[in-house]
Amino acid sequence: MVAAENPTGNPRTPKYIRGKRGIVGLVHGVLENVRDHRGIHQPLYTVRFDLSEVSTCHDQDSIWVDVHEEWLSGVRPDS
Amino acid sequence: MSGKHGHKPFEGHMHDYEAHIKAVEEDLEYYRAKRFEPRIFYLLRRGVVTFSDLLKARMALKRKNKFFKPRKPQGKNIEARVRYLEEWLDEYVKGIALVSAHAVESMDMVTEDNRKERGDYDDFFKLKKKEHHGTLERRMVNLEQDLKDYQELLEVFIQALINRGWSTRNELEQRWKQLHEERPWAGGVIVAKAWTDPEFKQALLTTGREALREMGVHQGKVGKLVVVENTDSVHNVIVCTLCSCYPYDILGDTPWWYKHESYRTKIVQNLRACVEEMFQLKIPASKEVQVYDSTSDVRYFVLPQRPAGTEGMSEEKLAKLVTVDSLIGAGYALEPSQQKESEKFGATPEAPRVRPD
Repeated sequence: MVAAENPTGNPRTPKYIRGKRGIVGLVHGVLENVRDHRGIHQPLYTVRFDLSEVSTCHDQDSIWVDVHEEWLSGVRPDS
Repeated sequence: MSGKHGHKPFEGHMHDYEAHIKAVEEDLEYYRAKRFEPRIFYLLRRGVVTFSDLLKARMALKRKNKFFKPRKPQGKNIEARVRYLEEWLDEYVKGIALVSAHAVESMDMVTEDNRKERGDYDDFFKLKKKEHHGTLERRMVNLEQDLKDYQELLEVFIQALINRGWSTRNELEQRWKQLHEERPWAGGVIVAKAWTDPEFKQALLTTGREALREMGVHQGKVGKLVVVENTDSVHNVIVCTLCSCYPYDILGDTPWWYKHESYRTKIVQNLRACVEEMFQLKIPASKEVQVYDSTSDVRYFVLPQRPAGTEGMSEEKLAKLVTVDSLIGAGYALEPSQQKESEKFGATPEAPRVRPD
């Protein structure tokens, strides 16, 4: 589950997935990217959302978005 | 060089002048309002340079000290004039790279500062982009004036940095030279190898940049690289809805439409219609489309499917079938017949420009 808002979290979390539920697809861990930003963000995940969840499209397509840990809650291992 | 910025989906030839001009207009405003001027604001706010520095630098700026030496178009016909504008834009983009954060280390600015400054997270800060109207002739005249004006500010800014001691003319001249060195485009080479070498493909899909190092290809250093594979059941599309993150360190200059707001919003709102409208690509209903929204720490590109009828082709030939669009998911790799066709018309899209870091 992605938080609806998170003023201190990484601002690079697109608005359209905020408050939405997704499935973790890739686990990247902590990435260092010193040219891009200062400091180090929390671990990064690529999360899969049904496109129908985030837009008006009604089909089988999906969107995969990189989200840092501080935006996520209820991350569980795959059953 | 020519047409590097004129790249348009499915088209690299010069027949459609309007498309070339549109690409220059879009790119020029993008680089001014997103890459260059926000940087000035950032440094002005912190007193790294001041308005008076700029005024003084303008007064002292001598013609011989300008980095960009304009030359006349190679002819009066429209094609020569379009190329001239494209070359000029290319010089402008290089000029911005010349004063980028990592070039002038002591300015201590990272990409994220620039994103904040240009309003990626807050519309209040957005710089208005100029709109372009009128006949093609009018638009070309306007573009020439804009390029001249924007270039002037850039030269003044560079001079102000030198005057303030943030860099020296020598350092900048050396870097300016480096920026003009041609670098090969790796996109086609990487994909062709992945099509012919299963081991490499596996490594590319699982380790990204590591696999490129083995191959001796320039591996860049802009974030983690993830390569996603197109299959019979999955078609991948890459976007950056927040700005324009792209593995430009490997794939070269970003196509203008990738940075354009229409692509960045429509691809989420109405994916299949967007792809069909913008790129004339109809993705079969049987395929799942997976969109990857890049957010700077990870950069993505697509490994397109190997086209039919390419059995036994050499890596070198296969590399020519790989288009920029196919690496973003806005197209498929060309079939050999399509590639021959475009070669016949002299319409082979040129590889994008890869700039040194």
